Amino acid sequence: MKILATIWKESILLVRDLGGMSLIFLMPLALVIVMALIQDNSFEIMQESRLEVLFVDEDADALGQRIAQALQASPNIHLIKSLKGRPLTAKTAERLVRAGDYKAALIIPEKASITLRKKVEETAGGLFAHYGFGSVTSSVKASPPIDLQILFDPAIKPNYRQALTGAVEKMTTSVQATWLMDDIQRRLGEATGRGGKTIDFSEMIHVRQNDASSDDAGGMALNAVQHNVPAWSMFAMFFILFPLAGNFIKEREEGSMLRLRLISGSQSPVIAGKFLFYLGVCLLQLVLMIGVGLYVMPLFGLSKLALGANHVGIVLTGLAVAMAATGYGLLIAVYFITPQQALSFGAISVVILAAIGGVWVPVFAMPPIMQKLSPFSPLNWGLSAFNHLFLRSASTAAILPDLAKLLFFSCATLAASLLIHRSRIVL
Amino acid sequence: MIQSPIITAFGLKKTYRGASKPAVDDLSFDVRQKEIFGLLGPNGTGKSTTLMMLCGLIKMDAGSMEVLGLDVRQKGAEVRRRIGVAPQEIALFPTMTAYENLVYFSRMYGLPGTAIRETVLEYLKVFGLADKSSQRVATFSGGMKRRLNLVAALLHRPQLLILDEPTSGVDVQSRRMILDYMRRLQAEGVTILYSSHLLDEAEKVCSRFVILDEGRRIAAGALAEILEANGGSDNLEQMFLHLTGRGVRD
Repeated sequence: MKILATIWKESILLVRDLGGMSLIFLMPLALVIVMALIQDNSFEIMQESRLEVLFVDEDADALGQRIAQALQASPNIHLIKSLKGRPLTAKTAERLVRAGDYKAALIIPEKASITLRKKVEETAGGLFAHYGFGSVTSSVKASPPIDLQILFDPAIKPNYRQALTGAVEKMTTSVQATWLMDDIQRRLGEATGRGGKTIDFSEMIHVRQNDASSDDAGGMALNAVQHNVPAWSMFAMFFILFPLAGNFIKEREEGSMLRLRLISGSQSPVIAGKFLFYLGVCLLQLVLMIGVGLYVMPLFGLSKLALGANHVGIVLTGLAVAMAATGYGLLIAVYFITPQQALSFGAISVVILAAIGGVWVPVFAMPPIMQKLSPFSPLNWGLSAFNHLFLRSASTAAILPDLAKLLFFSCATLAASLLIHRSRIVL
Repeated sequence: MIQSPIITAFGLKKTYRGASKPAVDDLSFDVRQKEIFGLLGPNGTGKSTTLMMLCGLIKMDAGSMEVLGLDVRQKGAEVRRRIGVAPQEIALFPTMTAYENLVYFSRMYGLPGTAIRETVLEYLKVFGLADKSSQRVATFSGGMKRRLNLVAALLHRPQLLILDEPTSGVDVQSRRMILDYMRRLQAEGVTILYSSHLLDEAEKVCSRFVILDEGRRIAAGALAEILEANGGSDNLEQMFLHLTGRGVRD
């Protein structure tokens, strides 16, 4: 009864506090949309990793064509063979990469295919001669290796450098193997009088790529919507301390808290009522923010928020974050004496916890020292759980450690709030 | 007939942290059942501190106090359950209406839900606030706020009512209404401890007094006894000036 009365009273106070209402509902909605729009391009750059490569084919033969085909099939590489309608030359490519206009250039030297064919023939012939079929016509060592050149901008990311080098090496190895096998077959056919047989190397080993999500729906990459909706929802939930602490201290200053102190047995219901009311407000904030991610963000050209398959997990995480946020707000409210102290400390502390927790910048993009600090922020625990749920469709068991930390934080702050508040009933 | 004491205070002492002298020093008095007892003195003389010690919200450094037969230090919560207090501050929620304020405090007092509406409307009518019940308290005049502040202390029909400056900053009509209601409550058997710096007003409603100056008792008893014992002054104000001098207090 007393708890319900306090919830009823808090709802009246909040509804009539238009500033507080806009702070906890409208501002976060605007903030999450703006932040997602601002960060959308950055996330795309971070996720897509598409590299533009200048391709100079001085060979103009099979080897150059095979390498070009293979690289063009890669979603992460964009080959540029000509600029302003003119084919690229090695000199132009080198100048452009040196100037930093492009990150890499691949140069297939003149007569590369002819040289490779010659080396294949030399190798196969040497092999056959070694086993007593025919005679050695020339020395393998006589032909110098083909000099494929990849030019890199020194500022290129190491993973781009590695990816491009790997792709080129893979393709040249494949061409060498295929051509060598073709030559050996041809020689065997001539020796045995039988026709050739096609060998499909792709049937030997399959490399499959699967996302390690826990259901058939699969996972998804982090994008601006997937990051910003849960991140700023939690930020908004922790900002609940503004109306909570503001009203609490106002009640203390205006005297209504004194009357409640004078009513025996009202202290715990007052705290519990405030806690439950603001818990509900936090959950409402989360629902609204998720609604924005689902229905409003696509209107701005952003992707639609994907919730994953574990909806129970989302409810549990939302509840745990709301409890942690409300507990923190209550602690700030009861501990500080003046609104200035409470709101200044509260706002700055939430901004710091949010920054450490990965709200502003995802944790993986932080420097190592900040990544070590990140697990100490309750916003990080919540964000980690939401990312597990949204991106990986994780099971509830997978998010239990994060939920446990949030619940512990909530219980600790609530218990501290009660103790401090009760200690101030009798001075 | 002399009634038995409902409040017994003996040797009360309280010094706030950092203060150079006690707010209340060696104060003793008793309040009898069904009387209106005046705790009087200028502002800052320790009246509110005494009342908060009586409610168990401020710990006394020395002395003892029994309220309704209960030791305040051990049974503070039980004492608060049985008394009504109208603090000097307007202890209400300004953005809630008069009705909402009283309903909320009724629920916090633990009144049964069925009786709350009836009780609240009755008190609003008695104190001339019925037609303003749906207005926010922030829009009320000082007199209306003070009346509502008093009503909030009466909702659970306490045996002992403690009023701290109940007529401070109110108009003549509101003052008359509050003082009349105090007499009515007394007639209904409620004991009232009335704290004020308005000595002339206290003379009209109180049967006995304790007068404080700088935290210490300077006079106590019925009006006639006090005046006679202090040089035959005509009234309490004259007596107070006679005892303490005309210098302005901090």
